[in-house]
Amino acid sequence: MLESQNLAYSYDGKTQILRSVDLQIRQGEVVVLTGLTGSGKSTLAKCISGFIPRSIEGGEFSGEIMIDGENTGDYSIAEISRLVSLVQQDPDSQICTLKVSDEVAFGPENYEFELKSIEKLVESSLSAVGATHLHNRNTHTLSGGEKQRLAIASMLSCQPKYLILDEPSASLDPKGILLLRKILSGLKDKNVGVLCIEHNLEAIQPVADRILSISNGMITDWNQIEEQTLTPSSTIVSSSKPLLALEGIDFSYGSTKVIQDVSMNIYEGEIIALMGGNGSGKTTLVSLLGGLLEPDTGHVHLGETPISDMDRKNITKRVSVVFQNPNHQIFERTVWKEQILTSEILDNMCEDSIERSRNLLNSANLGNFMDRNPFSLSHGQKRRLNITSTIAHFPDILLLDEPFIGQDQDGKSFILNAITETASANGTALVVTHNPNFAKKHCNRVIFVENGSILLDGSPETVLQRLVDIGHSEYSELGVNS
Amino acid sequence: MENQTEFIQDSGKTNPLLKLLLLIITISGIMIYPSWRLSSILLVIVILLFRVSRVSLKLSRNRTKFIIIFSILLLVFQALITVNGTVLGFVIPHLNNFGPFFPITDYGLERGLSIASRFLLVVLSSMLFVAVTDPTLLAHSLTRLRIPYRYSFALVIALRFLPLFDSENQVVRMAQKSRGIQPEVGGFRKILRTIQYTFFPLLVSSLSRVESLSISMDGRGFGYSENRTYFRKSTWKISDSLLTILGFGYILFCFLLALGFLPYLATIF
Repeated sequence: MLESQNLAYSYDGKTQILRSVDLQIRQGEVVVLTGLTGSGKSTLAKCISGFIPRSIEGGEFSGEIMIDGENTGDYSIAEISRLVSLVQQDPDSQICTLKVSDEVAFGPENYEFELKSIEKLVESSLSAVGATHLHNRNTHTLSGGEKQRLAIASMLSCQPKYLILDEPSASLDPKGILLLRKILSGLKDKNVGVLCIEHNLEAIQPVADRILSISNGMITDWNQIEEQTLTPSSTIVSSSKPLLALEGIDFSYGSTKVIQDVSMNIYEGEIIALMGGNGSGKTTLVSLLGGLLEPDTGHVHLGETPISDMDRKNITKRVSVVFQNPNHQIFERTVWKEQILTSEILDNMCEDSIERSRNLLNSANLGNFMDRNPFSLSHGQKRRLNITSTIAHFPDILLLDEPFIGQDQDGKSFILNAITETASANGTALVVTHNPNFAKKHCNRVIFVENGSILLDGSPETVLQRLVDIGHSEYSELGVNS
Repeated sequence: MENQTEFIQDSGKTNPLLKLLLLIITISGIMIYPSWRLSSILLVIVILLFRVSRVSLKLSRNRTKFIIIFSILLLVFQALITVNGTVLGFVIPHLNNFGPFFPITDYGLERGLSIASRFLLVVLSSMLFVAVTDPTLLAHSLTRLRIPYRYSFALVIALRFLPLFDSENQVVRMAQKSRGIQPEVGGFRKILRTIQYTFFPLLVSSLSRVESLSISMDGRGFGYSENRTYFRKSTWKISDSLLTILGFGYILFCFLLALGFLPYLATIF
């Protein structure tokens, strides 16, 4: 059994992130841990896997970690890692070699396993995550879901008794989530104890043995909270003139064509879910809609004007784009400066805009962090800042790329409010998402993209049903039609 | 079975350490004897090797275009600013009472060709090296030279993360564009702000990747022991020894040319 006893931790010696955490994980069980953004889930993962206090120093650590009844206080990080492995949130940052087989062999090579046993471990670990076919692939050519599976396989090859997964479903499409469930079931059968840190409980719940919650630095049993439902306006003001239009768009990265002959009109009042598997071209489409990439062929019109003929500031006034990685779109040194940056650039600094910025930060639960360095915020807080800092000037069009990743219930509610507010003020919002439930509950249109082309476009009910009809059953298996 | 195929494929290739050595030797040679003729011959060989290795030069990509345009600019700039040598003509000829301006001399042209061809050779041969070298096998070769694997893996990691930083740079630029941030050059403060808006996000993203990567590597026993096993190993063959001799022969040849011991060959190279 992997056990934490009276575990407490503080990064700065003042703010207690964990206080008296008692947690037990048995071999062969899947325990899910959920909690608000910044509640200490990832910190707990690093404590249990031994990185705190061994690799991450400077904080105040107390308590004990026991593995199979033995206190691990004197263990080195390498010794603990043989027993407990941690798969972190971003799989791309964890891959250190250029070939899939090298990556899986990396751990056993370091532990000086014999060549024959390394070969067997590489095969069995890849097979455990359903990735044997990736054996000879280069790591940089893998999709997000494949990288996630590789990260898990490369930990499994060290033969740990316990595995900790930090938000494994974060960027997976429904197919990837179903595969993740299968992997977790397989790990249970192999008697591996799993602690899964997750916001998206729907993804993991079916294979979980227990669900725990963390708040105020302590573990409690999880209680289901009713999700806030903001029903979109059913009557779309479908004026004849679209706010944003794509016409016969093609786009390639080098010789790889990623968008093929895409045409679409986006009207005011619409809340659109842009769906599709990993690597289907959703993010590229968002960049094209925002005028950030130039299409190879075709045109993008903002209102009636070709976006390529418009001044960048005029586009920014009307279109707000929020990307996936929050770190790539924070530029200033304090939360407040970051919040007012767009208003400053647009020469829109007035009392009203300052008031609006303050209100936005408060409603995003960031009001107390105005003087903080934005990079020191948690992932979910940074994502919310990305949104507040791009909507203070009331843009007509919101283009959000997977905004709900890493968001707790409060964060989700804030983002939902921002979306519905924009749509009901004669604007529109297009949200890239893998979550069919979000599409069904909150959107009035779904566009499904496959291989860079629009496969389906219509009301959520119609599109999701049609997806099931044409063999994408994963969209119903995740609970849409249940 | 797939593994076995991979080993055979690897063993059929030139040793990665030798590739590194040949790269260093090639670049050193043209620094010792900076002749445009020798650099151009080597450049042709490198381009042929691109074809033989089936590595695309990707001429359509902005970066390769930039490299070629930059080398042409180097040539033109040198030809324009070097006034020594026999005048071959003028950029602006003598017209009535106007001109002539900007003389083009044989020495200026030769100097321009030398600098441009050497620049192209250094960049293209490095590109070829990165494209045809398996970093894991290179790490193994370096370990055989008793270089601690902690250092040789730094090279593997650098090669792994180069494309990632490149794509992150593109995303940051798009994010700047979407916020209406445009590069500013008027005044020190504005330049500083432009640098800040590019480097802040890139730096923070890189630092967070460093932390994740070190946790991931430590968590898989990196540094557990002074030695480690290698799943795939590099090999050294007779052809590698012959290429090494050829490489050192080339360096000796460059020295002799530079010191004037081969006056007849100097007229050819």
